Amino acid sequence: MPRPETPIDARLASVWATDPGFYGWLTAVNHRAIGLRYIATAFVFLLLGGILALVMRLQLAGPGLAVLTPGGYNQFFTMHGSTMMFLFAVPMLEGIGIYLTPLMIGTRDMAFPRLNAFGYWVYAIAGVTFYVAFLFGTAPDGGWFNYPPFSGPGYSPGAGIDFWVTMITFIEVAALVASVELIVTVFKQRAPGMSLNRLPLFVWAQLVMAFMIVFAMPPLMLVSVQLMLDRVIGTHFFNPAAGGDPLLWQHLFWIFGHPDVYIILLPALGIVSMIVPVAARRPMAGYTLVAMAIVALGFLSFGLWVHHMYATGLPVLGMNFFAAVGMMITIPSAVQIFAWLVTIWRGRVVMTAAFLHVIGFLVLLIMGGITGIMVSAPAFDWQVHDTYFVVAHFHYVIVGGAVFPIFAGLYFWFPKVTGRMLSERLGRWSFWATFIGLHIVFFPMHVLGFEGMPRRVYTYLAGLGWDGMNLVSTLGAFVMAAGILLFLVNAVVSLLFGARAGDDPWGGNTLEWATSSPPPPYNFLTIPVVRSRDPLWDETAAEHEGWVTSNPQHPRRDVMVTTLLDAAPDHIDLLPGPTIWPLWAAVGAAIAFLGSMIHLLLVPLGALIAVVAFVAWLWPPREELPA
Amino acid sequence: MTARMAAVAAVAVAVAGCGGVQSVLAPAGPGASRISELVWILMVGTIVPAAVVIALILYAVFRGRRGGGGPRVGDTRLIVLGGAVLPGLILLTFSALSARYSAEVAVPPSPPAFTVEVTGHQYWWEAKYPDHGVVTANEIHVPVGQTVRLHLRASDVIHSFWVPRLHGKMDQTPGHTNVWWIQATEPGVFRGQCAEFCGLQHALMALLVIAQPPAEFDAWIARQRQPAPAPADPIRERGRQVFVEAGCAHCHAIQGGHVPRFTGSVGPDLTHLGSRRTLAAATIENSRELLRAFVVDPHVFKPGVRMPATRLPAEQLDALLAYLATLQ
Amino acid sequence: MSRRRVRHAELPRMVQGHGETVWWGVVFLITIESMVFASLILSYFYLRAGAPAWPPDGIAPPDLLLPTVNTFVLLASVIPVAWADRGVRTGNAVAVRAGKLTGQALLLVFLVLKVVEYSGYDYDWETNAYGSIVWTTTGFHVAHVVVALIKSSVVLALSWKGYFNAQRFLGVQANALYWYFVAGIWVPIYLTLYLSPRVL
Repeated sequence: MPRPETPIDARLASVWATDPGFYGWLTAVNHRAIGLRYIATAFVFLLLGGILALVMRLQLAGPGLAVLTPGGYNQFFTMHGSTMMFLFAVPMLEGIGIYLTPLMIGTRDMAFPRLNAFGYWVYAIAGVTFYVAFLFGTAPDGGWFNYPPFSGPGYSPGAGIDFWVTMITFIEVAALVASVELIVTVFKQRAPGMSLNRLPLFVWAQLVMAFMIVFAMPPLMLVSVQLMLDRVIGTHFFNPAAGGDPLLWQHLFWIFGHPDVYIILLPALGIVSMIVPVAARRPMAGYTLVAMAIVALGFLSFGLWVHHMYATGLPVLGMNFFAAVGMMITIPSAVQIFAWLVTIWRGRVVMTAAFLHVIGFLVLLIMGGITGIMVSAPAFDWQVHDTYFVVAHFHYVIVGGAVFPIFAGLYFWFPKVTGRMLSERLGRWSFWATFIGLHIVFFPMHVLGFEGMPRRVYTYLAGLGWDGMNLVSTLGAFVMAAGILLFLVNAVVSLLFGARAGDDPWGGNTLEWATSSPPPPYNFLTIPVVRSRDPLWDETAAEHEGWVTSNPQHPRRDVMVTTLLDAAPDHIDLLPGPTIWPLWAAVGAAIAFLGSMIHLLLVPLGALIAVVAFVAWLWPPREELPA
Repeated sequence: MTARMAAVAAVAVAVAGCGGVQSVLAPAGPGASRISELVWILMVGTIVPAAVVIALILYAVFRGRRGGGGPRVGDTRLIVLGGAVLPGLILLTFSALSARYSAEVAVPPSPPAFTVEVTGHQYWWEAKYPDHGVVTANEIHVPVGQTVRLHLRASDVIHSFWVPRLHGKMDQTPGHTNVWWIQATEPGVFRGQCAEFCGLQHALMALLVIAQPPAEFDAWIARQRQPAPAPADPIRERGRQVFVEAGCAHCHAIQGGHVPRFTGSVGPDLTHLGSRRTLAAATIENSRELLRAFVVDPHVFKPGVRMPATRLPAEQLDALLAYLATLQ
Repeated sequence: MSRRRVRHAELPRMVQGHGETVWWGVVFLITIESMVFASLILSYFYLRAGAPAWPPDGIAPPDLLLPTVNTFVLLASVIPVAWADRGVRTGNAVAVRAGKLTGQALLLVFLVLKVVEYSGYDYDWETNAYGSIVWTTTGFHVAHVVVALIKSSVVLALSWKGYFNAQRFLGVQANALYWYFVAGIWVPIYLTLYLSPRVL
């Protein structure tokens, strides 16, 4: 519901509005615009990755089928995994974070709006390029983690792996950029009074996720560049004939790769921690324990990576150490599960589509979690590593543990973002189809793994006992697809015809519910002063004492910067408005990277464009330069 | 297409018997059997608490909808007990068990009787018995009840040696030699498959481990040590010439001096081709018809293997196959 | 119930230094880059652990004289830059320009000596894994030096336009911070590539 027009409101709106038209769309730097783009783009990649999976399941529905050629299947599973891990999961959760975090902490935008825009353009270019390569038949085909020597110059001479490396590099840049921004925004721009122990748990999760990205992505950046160098200029990092080692790739990749799955899981757990208190209509139980558990997960996740390498011949003693850490990481997750359990038990739950997805998430995460405990034992893993048992495990924890909370979050915040309510009935249908479908697809895979079916096989022989379960799994995939499709239908129909949502349709407790749906371009009319963890439950909307008055005379965008621990007001920061330079910087970087595959002259050309764009970006506005 | 599928199916059935030929939970050796103990312990030990927690959650949801109440114990105590202490104790136990089982199955249960060097190639298995002077491919014989040491290597990309009914898997990484072991406690045919994605035909890179009573194993070794016999009649001699002229000898070795050696191990050693039950890394049955079809065009069965199609006039093809039939 | 009322207009604008968001941004950029260098050093020791001899294939350990001199050149460049950083806070534009220019000159000397050092190598990145890791690590660092040169040129240009003063010096400070990183990160690289083959 739009607020009554006041002079302050009109002035703020004009300062913070995005420029109109297509050019305005290109130059936008508002966090909500950027966040929505991330979410929408990531959803497209979810659908693309899902379609790839459906075709893969068709190929495996029976033994010896020829829906796909062997090479085609290998490309499909590589594209599927890479899409879901790099182009869907992390960007989707980042997008939700970019949209919600400033609203939850009571500020008007993120700390580096142009960097935000740059991150999105880099991501979009990465995803589009990846799929264009696929359409032209040069897709990567070595799995989403592309082990050398297979992915090296000797055995994958085409351009497919090069496109994969380029996509990875761009995604990393986007993720790193978004993380730095999240950390600085959360540290510096919280509303007065929002000390760290009053931070919403979703923001805690985003903060820890961002720190994890800062430490986990650089090893991936390096190792993917090393692969590119091996492929393009003849280095020997992974070539045993010249002193290199294929295991170097595995170590560096998994030093990134294991934290990566917790980078995906943590914000999802954070979403759940926002929905459960509102559904149970009481504050979160064990807030401090949950915050500590989130931090503990972040740290512990860096000590597990060797469990991806149990079958490589490493010393058993070392593997047992990593196994112990792997088992222990269950505890911070269990702490959070019990905190939700207690909150629900003590509360008075209102069943909504969002909360239904939370219940589904809990069941699926626990099921996936116990198979995780099983495979963290080296001896167990020596039988099921690289089999369908592992495929079952990680789909339960990622689809159950991350995608279900994402959908729960979409149901929960759709009214805030669009101003309309999603259909509850369609939401329930969608949930049951996806939930039941997931079990039909992935539960039989546990058995297939035990029956000896390895991963990444384009076909299998009849008579091994795998036929029936593969067929069941394929049928389940279509049930799941129907569930996702129902969500899409729900979103489109509700966007057009859904009931109008007020500011706060669920009776929420955090600051995003204190502004209109959708929020105005400046987020809050006045910056709130926060006195507790559940600001909306602890003061009624009518009492606005203690709220900061904004200074409408300022012709530029400004945000309040507060101190790190207690969020005491410190100073005012001026933020930039719309600008085209982040797009040019992304384009320049893209030309430089992709150019390395086409013609070497494109590399300095692209670099030049990027440098000029960065200088123009950072150059002070005219009014700040002395005459 | 139908004939190929039938051929492909036939081998699996012949080997499978009643199914479960590649099953982790049907152990036939001490490695797999100890691991399957741990499998059952961990499964039961995690499923039971998980079911309890899920039941509690569902109870809390439905109880909570009616409102009021909740456990009488304080929040912190409940969360720490249920989320940290109890899981911690359970997991500590599992860690200790896991460490014990893993350390145990990593080493042979008895001193190995001999060593087999298994080298993974795209898409077949080279097997050498240095203690016996035997070279073969895709089919490994072992004596029942004796431990066999394995030296696992790879010639090109990463592969992984896995025979589920006998033991867990171990990777074959270029530049490394991984030492592993297997032992079968009953005679039988055990199927294994490459367990690390290695390229186009990773899916059809399988092998057979055949466990025999020691006397039969010794007999097998004795036959495998024999070089190939010289061609006994003009047709077979013609076939031997075709083998060289058509280029087969460039990739496949045949011991005995009748066929010149080139690189040797691009493709499997064929000296005792006829003694093997399957062709193309346990993809198809080893019959005259299927061997003929495979030689003419391997890509019908395994598209993308390095072996090219062989177009020969019928007379030469017949002679070649007659010669190959002597390689028992 | 507290009734804190904070007036926007009473708060200072754009505080420089540790409070500023851009400063934090540069700190995290440095953290990220440090992690990449750490991964390079990890790769170096990992490849070494798997090699029978190091450097392999009869390559001699790297010469010490030129790289050590160059290390001092690089570390010395920090001094004029720190002077510039200090000076800008008192509005001393001379300190800024002279300091940055001197620093840049020293970086150029570093680059020239690097080229001389490279031309003396009888192996390159294609020779073996040792060559690959050595050339990649030093090459990555050289790229950082070049970036520092470009950045400080932009800062110099702005200084000449009179943009910086005692109230507005974040650009100089951020540039200095990045400079300290480029110089400082060279120390573990030097210890790893040049000293460790002789000492460990």
